[in-house]
Amino acid sequence: MGIVTDKLPGALEKVPGGNVLVTRFDEIINWARANSLWPLTFGTSCCAIEMLMATGGPRHDMARFGAEVARPSPRQADLLILAGTIVKRMAPRLRTLYEQMAEPRYVIATGACTISGGPFIYHSYTTVRGADEIIPVDVYVPGCPPRPEQLFHGLLTLQKMIKEGETIREPGVRRKPVISALPEGVTLEDIQGEMKELLVKENVVDVHQAVDKLKWPSGTNDGS
Amino acid sequence: MTVEVSSLKELVEQASGTSGSPDTQEYFVNMGPQHPSTHGVLRLVLKLDGERVLRCIPVLGYIHRSIEKISEHMNYMNCVHLTDRMDYLSSIMNNWAVAKAVEEAAGIEVNDRIQYIRTIFAELERIQSHQLWWGVLGMDLGAFTPFLYGIRDREVLNDVMEETIGARLTMNYVLPGGLMADIHPNFVNRVKEFIKYFRPKLDEYDDLLTGNVIIQERLRNVGVLSAQTAVQYGATGPVLRGSGVAFDLRKDHPYGVYDQADFEVPVGTVGDSWDRYWVRVEEMRQSLRIVEQLLDNIPPGDYLVKKLNSKIKLPEGRYYSQLETARGILGVFITSDKKDEPYRLHYRSPNFNNLWCLEPMIKGDYIASLIGAMSSLDLVIPDIDR
Ligand code: SF4
Repeated sequence: MGIVTDKLPGALEKVPGGNVLVTRFDEIINWARANSLWPLTFGTSCCAIEMLMATGGPRHDMARFGAEVARPSPRQADLLILAGTIVKRMAPRLRTLYEQMAEPRYVIATGACTISGGPFIYHSYTTVRGADEIIPVDVYVPGCPPRPEQLFHGLLTLQKMIKEGETIREPGVRRKPVISALPEGVTLEDIQGEMKELLVKENVVDVHQAVDKLKWPSGTNDGS
Repeated sequence: MTVEVSSLKELVEQASGTSGSPDTQEYFVNMGPQHPSTHGVLRLVLKLDGERVLRCIPVLGYIHRSIEKISEHMNYMNCVHLTDRMDYLSSIMNNWAVAKAVEEAAGIEVNDRIQYIRTIFAELERIQSHQLWWGVLGMDLGAFTPFLYGIRDREVLNDVMEETIGARLTMNYVLPGGLMADIHPNFVNRVKEFIKYFRPKLDEYDDLLTGNVIIQERLRNVGVLSAQTAVQYGATGPVLRGSGVAFDLRKDHPYGVYDQADFEVPVGTVGDSWDRYWVRVEEMRQSLRIVEQLLDNIPPGDYLVKKLNSKIKLPEGRYYSQLETARGILGVFITSDKKDEPYRLHYRSPNFNNLWCLEPMIKGDYIASLIGAMSSLDLVIPDIDR
C-alpha cells in the first residue's frame, strides 16, 4: 500500500482488543469510489499519448492515485477520460459509450479540443465544439495537450468532488463542472518540492497516534 | 416411440437458412471505433469464416478534423501548427514538411545551422516515435512490461527536447524560414548523455522482446506483404523497407543535411511483421548514429532567416515537397493563387497508404494475427483522417 494522505471519513474508537470505525455509509462509499476510479481507454487523438500513455508509464504512474486499471470495456469502467478531439461522426458513439458505463460515472475532459474545439474551432466542418454538447462533464483539464501533472490535478479535483459531493440517496446529483487549471506561477519545482516534503512527513502513519488526534467531526452523528 | 435424429449439418442449415458448410459460417464483426488495439478510433469491418479473416475493410472518418480545409483560411506560418496534430508522434517532421514546401516554393534559403538542428531534432523524434511503438507493440501482444520500458526511455528523451522546445508532444518547432527558438546551451551535452544512456538500453530491448520466443512466433510469417504489393499500395517507410525495398528519402533524395551523415537503411527480406519490427529497432540505432555524427558540427549562425514576416506569398502554381517521417513519406501539395493563404493544401500522409496494406497482409489468416500485424504497421489514426 502506498501512503495514506487522506483521513478515513469518520472516527476510530478504541475498544478493548481493537478499534471500531464509526462512520457514515455515504462517506465511506464515496471515499472508496474516489480512490478506485477505473478509466476507460478512450483516446481519439494527440491527447491520448499524454493522458493515457505517459500517465500509465513509470515516471508519472497513475497507479499512485488508484486509477491505473484502464479498461477497454465501458461496462467495467466508471471514469471517462476524454483524450482527444470529438468529431461529429464519433459523437453518437461517445454517447453510447457513456451510457454503457457503470453508474456512477464520471467524465474528465482533457485538452482544448474537448473543452471548446481547441485549434479546430474556426472553419472546421466536423469538430464538435466541446464534449459537453454530448455528455455531461465533471472536470475540465485545459492544455494542448495538458501535461500529465495537470491530469493528476484534474483527477484529484474529481476525487475531492466525489468525496464531498454525491450521496447514495441522490445518485448522479453533481455540482457544476469545474476547471482544474493549475494556479498561475506554480512551477514544476514547487510541486515536486511539496510532494517530497509530504512524502517525508507522512511516510510513516502511526494509526494509533492518528486515532488519538482524530476528533469526532461535528454534525456527523445526526442519525444517518 | 421414435427418436428424431438430425445431423449437425441440418441443424446449421435450419438455423442459418443457408446451405453453407456445417462447420463454419461467414459473419461480420465490427472492430472499433473504440478498441484498445486499433490505436485510436479506427473501425475495421471484418468478414470472418470461423476465425479466418476473409475481408478486412477499414472505415474512416471518426477523427476527421478537416485540417486541410482549415488550412485554406490560414497563412503559411499558421498552417504549420496544425500539422503537429496530424501525426503527433512525428510532429517536428510534419512541421518541417510544410516549411520545406514553402521554402522551396518561395525560394527562401536557410542556413546550415538551421538544417543541422532540424535534422538532429527529426532523428531524435524518430527515436522517440519508435520507442513508443516498441512499447505499444508489446502491449498489443499481451505483454505490459515493454510498454513501461519504452515509456521510461521516451521520457528521458522528452526532457532533453523539452528544454529547447518547451512542449512535450505538439512541438511547433520548425517554421518556414527557420526555427521557433535557438537550441538550449545544454542541448548538445544532454543529447550526448542520452546517446550514452540509450545505446545499452537498445540491447536491453533486444533481450526483452526481440529474442523472445512468443514475440517471434506471433510475428514471424504473419502478415506477409510482398514487395510488389507494398509498392502497388503506395506503402512507405518501415512498412515498405520491411518488404525488402530499400527506398528511403533520406538516402535517395537527401534533404536537410542527411548527405553529410553516414548511415545505413535497414531492409527486411520476407516482408512479415517480424521484418517490420526489426527494421524499426534497427532504425533507432541508425538514428543514434546520425545524431552522433552531426552533433559536434552544428555551425554557428542565426536560427531564423532575417526579415521574415508571416505574410509569405507564394507565386501562383502548384508545389509538391516530401520528406521521410517516422512512418513514411509525408508529401505536402500546395496550390497557390498568389495570396498569403493557400488555395488548397493537401497532405499525402504515410499512414493512409500503409493502412490499406492491412487487407492483403491478413487475408486468410487468423483474427488473432490481425492485432500483431496491425501493430507492426504502426498506424496513427488522426494522420489517416486528418
Ligand atoms: S487539445 Fe491539442 S493535443 Fe489535445 S487532442 Fe486537441 S489538438 Fe490534440
